[in-house]
Amino acid sequence: MSDVSLVFLYALATALATGLGAVPFLFVREVSPQVVAYSNAVAAGLMLGASFGLVSEGTTYGRWETLGGAIVGVVFILITQRLLDGYDEEKLIFGAATGESARRMLLMMVVMTVHSFSEGVAVGVSFGGGVELATLITAAIAVHNIPEGVAITAVMRPRGVSVARSGVWSVVSSLPQPLMAVPAFLFVEAFRPALPWGLGFAAGAMVFMVLVELLPEAFHEGGRRSVATLVTLTVIGMVLFQRFL
Amino acid sequence: MSDLDPTLTVLLYSSLAAFTAGLGILPQALSGRLPMRALGWANALAAGLMLGVAYSLLYEGLSDRVLQGGAGALLGLLFVRLAHRGTGVQDLDLNRLDDLDPAYGYQIVLVNTLHGAYEGVAIGAAMLVSLPFGISTALALAVHNIPEAMVQTAVLESRGVRLRHAAGLAVAVNTNQVLVSVVVFVVARALPWLLPWAIGFAVGALLYLLMAELLPESYAQAGHTSIALVTLVAMGIVVALVGAG
Repeated sequence: MSDVSLVFLYALATALATGLGAVPFLFVREVSPQVVAYSNAVAAGLMLGASFGLVSEGTTYGRWETLGGAIVGVVFILITQRLLDGYDEEKLIFGAATGESARRMLLMMVVMTVHSFSEGVAVGVSFGGGVELATLITAAIAVHNIPEGVAITAVMRPRGVSVARSGVWSVVSSLPQPLMAVPAFLFVEAFRPALPWGLGFAAGAMVFMVLVELLPEAFHEGGRRSVATLVTLTVIGMVLFQRFL
Repeated sequence: MSDLDPTLTVLLYSSLAAFTAGLGILPQALSGRLPMRALGWANALAAGLMLGVAYSLLYEGLSDRVLQGGAGALLGLLFVRLAHRGTGVQDLDLNRLDDLDPAYGYQIVLVNTLHGAYEGVAIGAAMLVSLPFGISTALALAVHNIPEAMVQTAVLESRGVRLRHAAGLAVAVNTNQVLVSVVVFVVARALPWLLPWAIGFAVGALLYLLMAELLPESYAQAGHTSIALVTLVAMGIVVALVGAG
């Protein structure tokens, strides 16, 4: 098999792993306002921890480029929010939900999907050194993707999207990974300078999403001590998880 | 960075951090009673700086021994919850300007005193990682003390405390930062295995505090977007500058 199709297959496998993130929600029976709040808190912690990892990786390529990318990421989300706000409540549909719920799910999908582009580039660039370590790198990235599926399902499941569909949406959000991994692998030299910008972009977009949407909603229905405890635990868990893989 | 004795360096910069808290009265001295929005932004600024410090400690401070760091973070989280419950300041809203209950006055001062102690752990541990890293951490927390003192001053002033007394109180509340940072520095220098635990402790404590006590009220005081932006910019500045130290 050629190296190119190998990189594509590996990246596809990591994208499919994202769908596994929906699995824990098979065990959540009722969806009360508290479940919504604490799901948001968990998603916030996972995304914050993931962003920490992206920033630390980005800054090894270039500190100011990462910061610049983060600013672009925030501006991108602000613009997307404005665009979504421009739609009528009834016209905005996601699954069975309309209005505010649909808007938030769409925004989550946009954030997680665009962030996968940068991750795809990171995969391709890391394979660019050769494919000997491919299995190891792939396994690590696949496992990293599972919490992202958890975060997406945590936002969708409480809004009436089924576990299976949440899993499918999670995979969809990761599909840019195989698409970006191949060109990044083929043209490592061209893509490497863009990497800190991309990683910063992904981190900026995710942290902004956490601060502007997920945390306020978590505080709305959840007790602040419980929300703060959950966020802190998931951030720490996510950082440990990334450091060990 | 300096020829000063390391312990004196810790003493100097933690004292500087404590004294800058006195500057928290300036906005009020210059423009009278502050609008609610301004208090929200002050909380967000304080939270963002803390988030940046937590990130830097995790990624610049914990090179290896991540597991001890994680365990330390759990300990920090647990300690804050127990200490705040034990002293009756759990779930305290730090922004109730119209609450003239006598108990509220001492609770505000007490909870900010506890904050100062956790920040002292952060400064002492960061100084042991390297003096330049410790100095930039201390400076970030010095700036953090200003908006924190600003909110405390607003509460005290509405209870009839004079501004110059409020400035003195703000510094007094943060003096334990000096004691704690020097003690952590000296003890962890003698017992190096303690360092990752101390770093983790500070990370767990700071993350919990900013989620439980700084951010929740801020969302009610100003718009979600402006709160998210202020927090993110403050965090970005710390990540860019402290890491570069």
